[in-house]
Order: sequence, then C-alpha cells, then structure tokens
Amino acid sequence: MASTVVPGSPARTARRSVLVAGSSSPLARRRGRLFWPLVAPALVLYLVFYIAPTAATAWISLNKWAGAGPMQFAGWGNYRRLLLDPTFHSSFVNTLWILFGVGGATFLLSFLLTMVLRHLAGRKALRSIIFFPNVVSGVVISILWGFLFQTDGLVNSLLGALGVDNPPAWLAEDHLFLVIMAGLVWVQTGFYTTILMAAVDRIPPDLYEDAELVGVNAWQRFRYVTLPLMWDVVGVCAVLWSISSIKIFEFIYALAGAAGQLPSTKVWNMAVYAYGEAFSSGVPRYGTSAATAMVMLAMVAVLVVLIRRVVRRDSVEY
Amino acid sequence: MSVTTRTVPGRVRPAGTGGRRRGRRSRRGGWIERFGGGGLVWALALFNIAVAVWMLLASLKSTREIFARPWALPAHWLWSNYTSAWEASNFGPAFLNTLFVVAGTALSTIALSAPAAYVLSRVTHRLSGALTVFFAVGLGIPAQAITLPLFVLMNQLGLVDSLPGLWLLYTATSVPFTVFFLTGFFGSLPGALEEAAALDGASPWRTFWQIMMPVARSGIVTALILNIIQHWGETLFALIFLQSEQNQTLSLALLGFLQRMQYNDGDWGVLFAGVCTVVLPVLVCYVWLGRRIIEGMTLGSVK
Repeated sequence: MASTVVPGSPARTARRSVLVAGSSSPLARRRGRLFWPLVAPALVLYLVFYIAPTAATAWISLNKWAGAGPMQFAGWGNYRRLLLDPTFHSSFVNTLWILFGVGGATFLLSFLLTMVLRHLAGRKALRSIIFFPNVVSGVVISILWGFLFQTDGLVNSLLGALGVDNPPAWLAEDHLFLVIMAGLVWVQTGFYTTILMAAVDRIPPDLYEDAELVGVNAWQRFRYVTLPLMWDVVGVCAVLWSISSIKIFEFIYALAGAAGQLPSTKVWNMAVYAYGEAFSSGVPRYGTSAATAMVMLAMVAVLVVLIRRVVRRDSVEY
Repeated sequence: MSVTTRTVPGRVRPAGTGGRRRGRRSRRGGWIERFGGGGLVWALALFNIAVAVWMLLASLKSTREIFARPWALPAHWLWSNYTSAWEASNFGPAFLNTLFVVAGTALSTIALSAPAAYVLSRVTHRLSGALTVFFAVGLGIPAQAITLPLFVLMNQLGLVDSLPGLWLLYTATSVPFTVFFLTGFFGSLPGALEEAAALDGASPWRTFWQIMMPVARSGIVTALILNIIQHWGETLFALIFLQSEQNQTLSLALLGFLQRMQYNDGDWGVLFAGVCTVVLPVLVCYVWLGRRIIEGMTLGSVK
C-alpha cells in the first residue's frame, strides 16, 4: 500500500531537474500547450460550484435573507444572533464533543487496535470486518445503531444478562447524544485503524528488533519507535478527522429524526443547525445558516493550520 | 501467538533448536497487547458480524419474534418480508435513479479530473504547484458552506428536483478530491514512459491518452470505486436538492420507508428486509473488491 516512489529519491530529483532545465525544449513546450485545455474544465467547475458558492455564503452570512426576495444587509447581526441563541450554543458544544470526545476515543482505540493487529493472525480479514461500516451508507448505519438501543433491543437484553435491571432509556433526549457519540466511535475506529495500520506496516521491522535488544517494554516501544515514525500519518488522520467530524450530518439526522422531522435540538451539531435554519424553520433564515457554515469553515481552517504546525515541527525522516 | 525467549533474536537463532521464526515481522508484544488488546479487536469484529447476522435474521422474522428471540433462526422464514418491503417502499425507481446518478457522476468526474491531474503532476508549468494546492483547499470546505448559493443557483437553472441537476452537483463536488487523489497517483508513475513515447514521436495528447491513462488504470479504477461508494449513500444533497418521490435516490427512499414503517406501528421485519435490500449489493461488492476499496479509501493518507 505504501510502496510508492519516495519523493526525495535521487533518480527522481535528477529527472525533475532535467525536465526543469529543459523546459524550453520543443518537447516541453508542446506538452505545456496541453496544460490549460486539460486543466480548464475541472478548474471551471471547481470555481463555479465550490469557490464562488463559498464566497457567496460569506456574503449571505452578512445579510438577512429568506432565500428569495430582497436581501437586507445585517453586518455582524447574524453572528450576534448565533451568540445569543441557546440552540446554537448546544450545537456548538456538541460539535466540540464530537471533535474532541469522539476523536479522542477513536484515536485511542485505533492506536490500541493497530498495536495489537501488528501481531495478530488473520489481520487482513479482521481489518476488512472492522472497516465495513464505513462502506455502508450513514442512514443504514444509524437505523441499525438506533435499533440496538431500543427499550427491548439487543443492548438492554445484553445488560439484563449481565444483571443490570434498570438500564437507562437510551433513546430519550438525555442519553441520545451519548448513543450517537458511541456510534460514531464504532464506525470511525475501523477507518482510522486501517490508516494507522498501513503506516505501521511501513516501519522497518529491524527497528523493532533493535528496540527488543535494548529490552524495551510495550509502552516504550510505542512511545519511542512506533509513534515518532508514524507521526506524519497521525497528523494526516487528525486533519481528516477535523474536516469530516465537523460536518457529520446524516448519522444524527437519521438516528433521531425518524418521524419526518429534525431530531430534538439537544442532539444537534452545527451541521444540523445550519440545515435546520435554512430548510426546516418556518421562514428560511439563510443568513444565520450561512453564518453557521462560516463558523464551521473557520474552525476547519484553524484546526488544519494548528495540526500542520504541530506535525511539521516533530516529524521524523527515516 | 508465538512464544519467544527474551534474549535470542529470531533471525540469528541457530537452525535446529526448534525456534522457527514465524512470520515476517517480530511478533513479540507485552501480554496486554497480546491478550487484552487482541480481545478488543475480536470484540469489535465479532460485534460487526453479530450486527450483520442479526440484521439478516431479523429481515426474515415477524416483529414479535425479533424481540422475543433475537438470536434464534426464524420459526417461519418470512421471505414475504422482502416482497412487502419492495412494494411498500419506493426502492425500484429509487434504485434506478441512484444507479443513473452514481454511474454518471463517477464517469464524468473521472473524465474531468484525470486530465487535470495528469497535467498538474506531469507537465511543468509555473502554475501547476499553486493550482494543485488550490484544488486541495476544496477538501477542507464543508458542504454546508456551499449549499445555500448552490440551491439558489440550481433553482434559477431549473435544476432543483432533477436528477441531471444532482448529477451535475455530485460531479462538481467530487472534482477537488479526485484531482487531489489522482495528482498523487500520476506523480508516482515513472517518467521514462512519457519520454520514450515522445522520442517515438507520439503527440502529447496521444502520450496522455494511450500511454499514461492505461498505466494509471489501477489508480483510476480506485478513484471510480471511491466515488461510487461515496455517492451510493449520499444524503445531504439528495435531501436538499430532490423533492418529488419519483426522483428519490436510495437513501431518501430508505428514510421515507423508515418513517412510514414507524407510522404503521412498526413491522420491523419488513423494515429490515428493506435495509438488507440496500446493504446486500454493497456487501457483495465489498467481498469482491474489499482490499481495493479499503486501500483506496486510506491510500492518500499514508503516501
């Protein structure tokens, strides 16, 4: 999986420099003529459907607008509204819970599983099994997950067998978000374990043998061999998680909002909030919805910059 | 697990002492790693299998039996659950709609992204670096940040509640990731082929189309598969941009079906038959293409 050409290998660098040096050769010039015709279609689509809408969303977030009719400039009004809205507060807190709570649990579990899978027989088969929930659509996963926690569902019958007689009402408002977070950990662990496994497989085995000779214990081996050598991949995982966790939508929507409407506001995250403001309130509030999206975008940007900074400082070449 | 002694590393152990080295990598680990953690992996894997088996069993039972005897084989195999589900849901048309949109999206995404990725990674141009980064920025933009203007735009174009409209949206929103993914892939291919083709007098276009595309086939197929998986269950855009029942995709049909089942006081057997109908094709593909899917979905991060 990771057996691609090492970017800095001498042969490749040399070839690159030949190409650069010969960039005025007829061959390079003829290939250069291919540049715009091949890039342009993708670029135009990207600009029209991605970059321009992002800019437009930034503009809408400064206006009061119902999606049709005249816009009314509101300045920072929408953002101030978000600051005062208790539903936005809980959505923001829930988003942070998913980002750090679910993220922390997922990464901890994934590290543990990765360490174990290194030694285990049948690791490829196990990997396929724990990865599978990622392939199934979020709606299906959330139907199944919700079912496990029904009053007379599997989780309670299991707890009953263990002697717990009064299990909490899992799907009631108070516990529902906990159930959602557990479900996210379940699905995401499979994904990140798979990535980390690939990173660990890249580490030359003799490093472990050296560590063995020095007589390290399991924790030291993880802390001083494994972790530093897969640090850059851990960074990529953290970036992926930041980007994907903030916009989690369908799992929450389908798990709790099954009766044809949005779930209780207690389990909303910012993605559900942005959807609710625009598409499910009486008069659509595009302004606050757009402002929420901008807050999400800003969070992603800050997190990605921070993570890259931390990772770049500590990454090890080998 | 192999039991090894602490002092003698496997590879210098003299032959004939019975210490055959098992496997390629060192398999030592503390007992916590080996037993505690091993248990955890197995628990997770068994849990996934249990959920799948339970779902299959439930799809063939009556509601009462699902709750009364969750793990028993069905007393009566209610295959009729599947026909009821098919009739009560909108799966037939939804299946065709999804097939049309997903297949169209995958093909047009590749048709647009592969050429762009090729020139960005292999043709020296002063903008190629900057444009590659520019495409990558799109990966960090959450869908929520583009939906509202897109809704207004699509509305004006008359493309709300239309499958071609959804196809256009899916294609456009797949471009950043696919370009990013394929740029990395083309970048890792050897350059000698192109030089040889050029020396033989092939035009740059022909070099791309007849030499590089076939060589990059595995990367392109992976990108196709990823795209299909991603859109097969896509919900947010479908929910916003499709309205009428005849245009529903599978995930919308499933949501509608779920709601109807709840109003009808829950015939859960039929509900699970519906869920199985949606999941089984994916499961079959997964068994068939599993490694490729897994490695594709995680490849970009490890390189």
